[in-house]
Amino acid sequence: MAGRAGLACRPGRPGSSPARKRLKPLRTVVAWRGRAEWDQVMVGLYCGDSRLQQEALDRVSAWKSRYGPKMPLAVDCTAELIRCKVLDSSGRLKSHELILSYGLALVRFVNLITERKQKMVSIPLRQLAKEVDIPIWVVDLRHELTHGKLPRLALCRKGCDVVLDWLRKTYWSRQLGNNLCEESEDEEQQGVEASAELDNDAWEIQTPQHEACQKHKEFHEKVRDVLISYKNEQFRVMQTVQSVSKSRELWSDSSSEVDWILAQIKDLMQENREAVAEALLSDGFLIPKMDCLKMLNIKYEANKELWQFKIPQTFYCFWQPLLTGLLSRSFTQILIEKMFVELKECSDSSELRPQFLINWISEMLTGIAKVNAGKKRQQHCNKQVSVKELFLRKVPLQWIRLTDSCLEAPCWATPHLLQLILTIMRPRLPRSSRKNLLYLASVYTEGGGPLSSPGISSDCSEQPIYTIESLQWRARQENQVKNQAQTVEKQDDVLERDDGVEEVEEEEEEEMVTETNPLEGLAHSGNLAAIAEKRAALQGSAWQITADEVQWKDFPLGKLPGQTDDPDGLMLDNYSMMSLLDQPVRDEWKPPSTNSAELNIPATGGLLWTQNDFHKIKSGLQLF
Amino acid sequence: GGSRRGWRRRRRRRPRRGRAGRAAAAWRGGARRGGGRPPRPAPPPPASRPPPPHAALPPQALTFTGKCRLRCLYGAVRLLGFAVASHQPGLPVFSPATHCALSLEALPAERPPRGLRAALSPLAEARVKVMARFSPECAVVLLEHLDTPVTRFLLSHPPLSRLFEPQEESSFTPEDAVLASVGIVKCSSERGLLVSESMLVALEELIQACCAEDEGVPVVLVCGPKNTGKSTFNRYLINLLLNRLPSIEYMECDIGQTEFTPPGCVSLSNVTEPILGPPFTHQQMPCKMVYYGQTSCEQDTERYLDVVKYVFSSYKKEVPLVINTMGWVKGEGLLLLIDIIRLLSPSHIVQMDVYDWKAMAPLTPEYVHLSPGLYTKGKQQAKCKQVGASEVENWRSSEGEGDASAPEYKLLYVHPEFPRAGIAGEARVHSSILRDMSILGYLGQLQSPDIGAVLPLHSLVPYQVPFSAVALRVIHSDVAPTNIMYAVNASWVGLCRIPDEIKCESEGPVLLTQTPVCDCLGFGIVRGVEMERKLYHILTPVPPENLRQVNCLLLGNISIPNCILVGQQGVEGEIPYVTSDYNYSILGSGKLKKKKHFKRREYAFECDYA
Repeated sequence: MAGRAGLACRPGRPGSSPARKRLKPLRTVVAWRGRAEWDQVMVGLYCGDSRLQQEALDRVSAWKSRYGPKMPLAVDCTAELIRCKVLDSSGRLKSHELILSYGLALVRFVNLITERKQKMVSIPLRQLAKEVDIPIWVVDLRHELTHGKLPRLALCRKGCDVVLDWLRKTYWSRQLGNNLCEESEDEEQQGVEASAELDNDAWEIQTPQHEACQKHKEFHEKVRDVLISYKNEQFRVMQTVQSVSKSRELWSDSSSEVDWILAQIKDLMQENREAVAEALLSDGFLIPKMDCLKMLNIKYEANKELWQFKIPQTFYCFWQPLLTGLLSRSFTQILIEKMFVELKECSDSSELRPQFLINWISEMLTGIAKVNAGKKRQQHCNKQVSVKELFLRKVPLQWIRLTDSCLEAPCWATPHLLQLILTIMRPRLPRSSRKNLLYLASVYTEGGGPLSSPGISSDCSEQPIYTIESLQWRARQENQVKNQAQTVEKQDDVLERDDGVEEVEEEEEEEMVTETNPLEGLAHSGNLAAIAEKRAALQGSAWQITADEVQWKDFPLGKLPGQTDDPDGLMLDNYSMMSLLDQPVRDEWKPPSTNSAELNIPATGGLLWTQNDFHKIKSGLQLF
Repeated sequence: GGSRRGWRRRRRRRPRRGRAGRAAAAWRGGARRGGGRPPRPAPPPPASRPPPPHAALPPQALTFTGKCRLRCLYGAVRLLGFAVASHQPGLPVFSPATHCALSLEALPAERPPRGLRAALSPLAEARVKVMARFSPECAVVLLEHLDTPVTRFLLSHPPLSRLFEPQEESSFTPEDAVLASVGIVKCSSERGLLVSESMLVALEELIQACCAEDEGVPVVLVCGPKNTGKSTFNRYLINLLLNRLPSIEYMECDIGQTEFTPPGCVSLSNVTEPILGPPFTHQQMPCKMVYYGQTSCEQDTERYLDVVKYVFSSYKKEVPLVINTMGWVKGEGLLLLIDIIRLLSPSHIVQMDVYDWKAMAPLTPEYVHLSPGLYTKGKQQAKCKQVGASEVENWRSSEGEGDASAPEYKLLYVHPEFPRAGIAGEARVHSSILRDMSILGYLGQLQSPDIGAVLPLHSLVPYQVPFSAVALRVIHSDVAPTNIMYAVNASWVGLCRIPDEIKCESEGPVLLTQTPVCDCLGFGIVRGVEMERKLYHILTPVPPENLRQVNCLLLGNISIPNCILVGQQGVEGEIPYVTSDYNYSILGSGKLKKKKHFKRREYAFECDYA
């Protein structure tokens, strides 16, 4: 029974190659299904409408079940405090009872949060609170609650609001944040605090319904203001050096001024990412006006092919610091999708707008391809100045959705963009589907303009008209002759290199796994007999084996075919309670009286509620 | 003293067939003579016993990590107490680095040697070599490479991939290379089980009691603080008993570290095979199992006692019973243990403790007789704790065991002597990792034995069952009913059977208002919840004939190991419940930590002056 401690399976002890492990972001298990659910709960808790708050609390009760003893402290504390507020606004409790509930929630908050900071030798609570910016009077309030006279209700309410605000700033707004969160934590915190004044009232939406639109406009303006301040700052920098190439260098070393602007935008993003994306794509920012191009000394070429899917370098450098800061996984998804939507609306015009949209999409996808392939940041050797990348770490996107958005905005550049997406996409579509999609896209968009990019033309312009028959013929060809597939592959590689996309070295291996997994066939044939046997044994029972042909391997645990990311997708609208005979009756769940079935009908259509929608719904639900 | 020669081992590598290595070894049995060292002075309070009949010199032994299949071709060897003779079929043997290493000891031949030539027949051409080195006292074993679906599944998870490899790189001598080809590596004997004098005494006594015909069937309860070697003692005891008896019953009351089931269960198992590995290698369906749903019972001791009572009621008292208890022996834990002793009325109590009764008072019959439990009262206690004790009172009065009669049992004291014994937090592996390994071992049963590669869980075809056919209950926390599917989705559930018929007025799910104490038939993962067709999709290794009886899903705070969720390969889009964006360095992101006793500043100064 002797032996030394420590083994490969101890947490934190790296397995085979520690160096590699450090590069990967740590993947952890959380209680929410995805970002949408997290956002929904955060907004719900802080919205100020007690019915929505109650719904958010109900969801947190499920989180608590999933987490068990591992529930994050901040979530627990927030829920306890919000519960007090909900009770308070229900008017069912007298002030003394409210003081007791507020009191316990506050005491727990101060104790639990500061205890995390305790060292072996205990540090005075006031000192710890100061370190983490909890107001001293809140600590004093705790002291009164535990050792002194019960404070007045007004003070408890104020304490609760202050602490909730602290939790929002310290935890909710920073958690699941974005790229820079881990890198510059202190900086981030400063930014959040500083910009707090900016949107102090943004969380309390007390406006009547007709003002919702107004609110949105105001927000949009707010974002625009910050973006304009960014532009002005960049121009100011340029003026100091009087040379475009010099200013590129200066732009790339981000200044404290830019960091501060970045922090402001990030804070706005916490509230409404979509609106920030919208503002970025409105005229004058990522899509420049002519005067802006002139100021940057960029000559506009009406000939779209000349730019080769690249943003003019100076303009790229102008926006790069801001974009690199903002392009988290979710925001990247939102921004690219928005770009496609915009593209759809202007694809016929031959102005700057479609041109820049296409080139931005292409630049971003190329950047993602590089970073996802695990390539280190490289300098473009053909350019005088080193150009910084837009992405610092891998951005796994919802590729299927992106493919859809891309196909919904057909234009002359669709084949190129589609090819980029299909190349980066993980897991990949089968080779034949990729090919067919590309062919179809180029057939469909052929009238849209000459396909002059070197990649597409070599492949497609030889056979200008495709029919279903030709696709079938091609499919047959590919199945029959393996060699041909390989040559196509080589061609593929050449294309991708031409487009500036670094091909992933391990691509071949991945293909093996996703497409020609030798296991699949075996598993299938071997299991079929076993499954049939089980099915027979279950005859007449409520338990069954699904008869549908489902490719289960494509769906992770917790997700079924056809299930969307709708955060309300698992809500129940009816259930029945059953009590048991011969079983001890103990504390049981009592549904709150306000909880009626109408309130809990899941959103139909499976659409994801954006925070924007939420604001609208909330203002619609206002009862007083 | 006895003659003690360097041990002779002769092995020869057989020509490999496929990947499976094989090695045969011959040992010289250690000579066993009477006498030996005088026993240590027995600890003062409990029944002190005369020294064991043979405190012998240690026989030749091979302590190893790794896994293999073992057959004894000639003579006899012993493995964690279990004697392997040449008539036994091949035994799977697991000695991972996470647990006390196994030692293979040669036993002196007890029977006249049978035809050596015949015994060695599986060895073909290696036979000649083995015979050349043979002496009649030798034992010859055949070790074969072992690869089971369960071990394949476990090793496929990155944190566990080196589970069977030794922690330190050992230099390969030619001998070791032969062993390594089978999949085991020799390690120092201190890594193996260290049997203390007091343990020997206790074991001797227990074996005698279990094999005696006259005294009735013994019920052995093993207790003691955490990390004192209760589990290893139990395995050793069961193996020793299985040398003489065809089967033993084992009752698991330690819901944190279960032997035959996933964690969170109280169960009664019939054991017929020796235990030659840690829990994740021998997950098996018990005769009776209840899912308590938590890894400790502090929050609901009353239901814990109900559960223990329910499981114990199916013990038929036909074969000896070994009962394992929790390491929670302080404060209420000790009171609860006293309740359990009153409830189960064992014939022997093995109390393991390192600090000479400092952590825990000696549980003599007199002490237990007089002490109050959490729900039961001692003899001279006027009052008993009334916290919902009605249930407990019921069984006590119904079984007619008033507190008038003192319990009758023998207290056996075991003083473990391995380094770091009893020191909390010094266990080799964190207990939650051991629990995850049990769950993985259980889920490994889903792997098909015919396929040499591991199938990821999410690729397997699940069962489906309508909401209305199975009742649902979350054991450990209050979840808003409208949000209950958020708790259920992608969670670990106990598949249970309640006697009641499931009645439901609507098509929706049926939520129980209480947590039932009911039979658990196995476990599963809710692979998905289909809201439109109102179906649960569940992955489980429970055989269909049992599955059709399942009408209740219990959800506790035992969760699917993180490595299962995080390690899902080849799925489309994002993986639910998995993120790389959660930043633990933000204040408040972590869980509630159990409060350590912080020193006050004043004490620190005092120390300085002292």
